[in-house]
Amino acid sequence: MRSVTALFFGPVRELVGAGSLTLEVNPPFTGDAAFEALAARFPPLRAWRGSLRLAVNREYVPFERVLDAGDEISFLPPVSGG
Amino acid sequence: MVAVTEDPIDVALVLRGIGTARTGGIDIFIGTVRDTNEGKSVGSIEYTAYVPMAEDLMRRIESEIRDRWPVENVTIVHRIGLLRVGEISVVTAAGAPHRAEAFEACRYAIERVKADVPIWKKEFAPVPG
Repeated sequence: MRSVTALFFGPVRELVGAGSLTLEVNPPFTGDAAFEALAARFPPLRAWRGSLRLAVNREYVPFERVLDAGDEISFLPPVSGG
Repeated sequence: MVAVTEDPIDVALVLRGIGTARTGGIDIFIGTVRDTNEGKSVGSIEYTAYVPMAEDLMRRIESEIRDRWPVENVTIVHRIGLLRVGEISVVTAAGAPHRAEAFEACRYAIERVKADVPIWKKEFAPVPG
């Protein structure tokens, strides 16, 4: 297991009901594995999967990205600034 | 200069900071809260941001602009918090020797902000009475 800090924003934050959580990620420790860990706790998140972008340490990365313990990650819903 | 701020955006201050002796043209985009969105009436909008990532990305957008156009100064400022109809949510501005570069750089900035910068809005209906 690797534990990462997941931050939540916008509509995903409302769905999760928290600004951040610690996630225990299983092998292969990818963004997808982290999403699975989260969706297991918050099944409605699955409907969002197609529109979420993964950020790791404040940068957009593909979901295939392998995470390290202590990474700051976020599953970002479509942005609506401007 | 880039910033995510909770304070009202002072457009005059932005304009004072943009021009230099070499600047021949300044383009500024001012985004404001409007009273309708997708057919629903809006009284206010709450903007939230992943602030450190938003500011990192805004800095990258500025450097992309500097790589691409001969701008002297670029400003990208986005406000967060609860904003009422008519208030300014975002300002992008660019100063360059010639207008074409100023227009393109300014437009590029706001399009990139809207496409990628991690900021979200939540609309609230007008409060009756």
